[in-house]
Amino acid sequence: MAEITLQLLMLQLLTGLALGAVYALLAIGLSLIFGMLTVVNFAHGAFFMVGAFLGVYFLTVTGSFWFSLVLTPTAVGAIGLLCERFLVRPLYGRGIDYPLLLTFGLSYVMVEAMRVIFGIDGVPTSTPSELRGVVNVGFGMFPLYRLFLIAATAVIVLALWLFIEKTRYGLIIRAGSRDNEIVRVLGIDISKIWLLVFGLGTAIAGLSGLLAAPTRAVNPEMGIPVLAESFVVTVVGGMGSLVGAVVAGLLVGVVFSMTSLFAPEYAELSIFVLMAVVLLVRPQGLFGKAGLMG
Amino acid sequence: MTQANPISSAIALIAQHRVAAVLIFLLLFPLIMPYEALALNILIFGLYAVGFNLLFGYTGLLSFGHAAFFGVGSYLTGITIVHFGLPWWLAIVAGTAASGVVGLLIGFLAIRTRGIYFSMVTLALGQIVYYAFYKAERWTGGENGLRGVTVEEINVFGLTLDFVNPLTKYYVLYVFVALALWLVSRILASPFGAVIESIRENENRTAACGYDVARAKLLIFTLSAVICGLAGALRALHLSIVPIDSLHYLLSGQAVMMCLLGGMGTFFGPFVGAAVFLYLEDVATSFTTHWMAIVGVVFMVFVLFFPKGIWGTLVQRWQRWNNHSVVTK
Amino acid sequence: MSEPILVAENLSRRFGNFVALNNVSCTFRQGQLTAIIGPNGAGKSTFFNLLTGAIAPSQGKIRFDGRDITGIAQHEFARIGIAKSFQITNVFKQLSAHENVRVAAQMRASRFDFLRSRASLTAVSKNADTLLERVGLAALGKRLAGELAHGQQRSLEIAMALASEPKLLLMDEPTAGMSPEETSTMMSLIRTLSTERTVILVEHKMKLVMGLCERLIVLHHGELLAEGTPDEIRANAEVRRVYLGQG
Repeated sequence: MAEITLQLLMLQLLTGLALGAVYALLAIGLSLIFGMLTVVNFAHGAFFMVGAFLGVYFLTVTGSFWFSLVLTPTAVGAIGLLCERFLVRPLYGRGIDYPLLLTFGLSYVMVEAMRVIFGIDGVPTSTPSELRGVVNVGFGMFPLYRLFLIAATAVIVLALWLFIEKTRYGLIIRAGSRDNEIVRVLGIDISKIWLLVFGLGTAIAGLSGLLAAPTRAVNPEMGIPVLAESFVVTVVGGMGSLVGAVVAGLLVGVVFSMTSLFAPEYAELSIFVLMAVVLLVRPQGLFGKAGLMG
Repeated sequence: MTQANPISSAIALIAQHRVAAVLIFLLLFPLIMPYEALALNILIFGLYAVGFNLLFGYTGLLSFGHAAFFGVGSYLTGITIVHFGLPWWLAIVAGTAASGVVGLLIGFLAIRTRGIYFSMVTLALGQIVYYAFYKAERWTGGENGLRGVTVEEINVFGLTLDFVNPLTKYYVLYVFVALALWLVSRILASPFGAVIESIRENENRTAACGYDVARAKLLIFTLSAVICGLAGALRALHLSIVPIDSLHYLLSGQAVMMCLLGGMGTFFGPFVGAAVFLYLEDVATSFTTHWMAIVGVVFMVFVLFFPKGIWGTLVQRWQRWNNHSVVTK
Repeated sequence: MSEPILVAENLSRRFGNFVALNNVSCTFRQGQLTAIIGPNGAGKSTFFNLLTGAIAPSQGKIRFDGRDITGIAQHEFARIGIAKSFQITNVFKQLSAHENVRVAAQMRASRFDFLRSRASLTAVSKNADTLLERVGLAALGKRLAGELAHGQQRSLEIAMALASEPKLLLMDEPTAGMSPEETSTMMSLIRTLSTERTVILVEHKMKLVMGLCERLIVLHHGELLAEGTPDEIRANAEVRRVYLGQG
């Protein structure tokens, strides 16, 4: 085993942050939908997976990563809109488990649809040509694409924060996550807001799939571990908290990459152990409000 | 009151002797199935769905990690046979007990959360068990599964039975399923059975009535894990190997699907669900490789339009029709 | 004067920065029908939730029968003899009315026994029948609780509360949302109940409790404003100001 230097630790930390950036995006999408609609989207991993496939597809067709970066979330968000309108909406008011169960069934269909369209083995991926290579980050060489992941996430989180804090729609979303009744009293058609939020949440899931695609294998089953991991992030961070999603996402990413360095065989397990510890010490999550989880 | 309707009294009789009714049906079941392996699968997964239903249908807790208990039951049965040479029946006991212990541990963490968090946490904790067994290759065979769980013949009360014969195997496993069903029926008819149903209806009210809800949840979670673990143990003997899929998220989902398809919160529902699910799978996979799409669509249709499942909807329709005909008389 | 049954000592409860209840001390006496009143947002519900164990106080102590019960679990309350009926109807909707009461009554006989038959607890079932009759629901035992009328569900809840044979019964706005007839039935039921055990009501409507209760406790902005007999409260200038002030 190579000697562990400070330099190596720093690079591994940065790798963890790049991984965590994707987790943070996933958890934000999940939290956004849950905060507004109190629906846990069990197809979140499937939307991520579809995002990865479409990302590769649009990249091949248009030849430009930047086009793909716009087209993919739009397409995945559109699928999300259709699903909310025709499948999830009839279930509101029928108990909290039913939308969850429906999205679970939906994930099966999405996985199989990708198998039909792209084959069961998935598609090969590579880092987009615009973002290949390594850069000097002061303490070593680091892949440009992973730096881009961190920066892109920062931009998205900032944009989302501005949207939620500074716009009229954001105001409605914030009010709605506290109390749907208020929004209704204000004379706003809440079903439109729900539709929008579901579309936005799934678009973010698709975007994180596209961003993660060059760093992992793209196949129809890739969404399953991702779903579990995004739940871990959500439980650690506390549901419904944007700050919690970002901090927990990065934390989970760093824990994963550090464990990979010191004890690679326990890397997958480590983040679940982190969740178990959080459940024992602070069941509502690091940034969650007490009482939400009993 | 109207005079006794023969169908009504038959239904009442079946409801009263529900364990006997299922057992008689399962006794004849292999005779009506196209081949014994399918009957064995339905027997085993029916029990798995019954165990899951204790938690989901009767207590209202939606777990997405039940493969952990099924898988631990399977693996520990296999490991004790392959690595320790335990007799088959003792291996079943070991596997079932191990799932109970894992159920207690996972339950302890999971019941600290409520509602949908519970579903998320059980899913994530189930993944721990999956990765742990996946990595412990020396004991579990890792990705390839645990091979060599071979039991060729068994001795019962001086009688030697050929365990390779599928029909013999069916009836040996049937005895265990019968015991488990009897236990489940006892639990449901017990004072504690009333407590879990009131937890499903209203957790706060149950606590206000003086019941320790957390403790009751932990108990039913563990009991449910034990039943599912037994189903897993039986599957290890049936297949002679333990595939890593036994612990997979999709198998947790399968319990949810079978339970909802058949009718959650009913005694017969889970078996109906398991039978329909596995029969459909058997038929569908013979002409398409895209079975998952079919099951996904069927499941969504049930969630949207028949949330009470096949059995639950039939019972409801029958009651409504019966009430209606009483009124018109 | 009779013995104190329930004592609140300097009770406070904060939710984040919001102080819902601030340093409230008062004593409830054995056998005395007491009402906690106050305008909207006075902290009545918080006080009720503290006294019945739904939430724990941020500061202060609660004593019941001389014993410190601060911070004990919700389920302990029913066991030591404190029962409650909720403001928002809280019954087991998909279970029959009889089963609702039977489960509540079963608590004293069996809780975690999963191998015995429920049907063997005949005394519990009989007890449930008696209680249903007591609140006027004897004929409706087989109906699902969710199918009962609002007033009937409130009565069912009271039967469930009584099933634990409490020494102290707390009721959160027992007549909320009731028709005038239902209200007067409920009031006479409360009057009868209060002859057998200590009853504490939380009420929004002052008029209702004036003729019913022996003692009133008035909360305002999370603090204790006044306590005394209905006549004393009626004469209290502060109370008049608060009630008239808010219309």
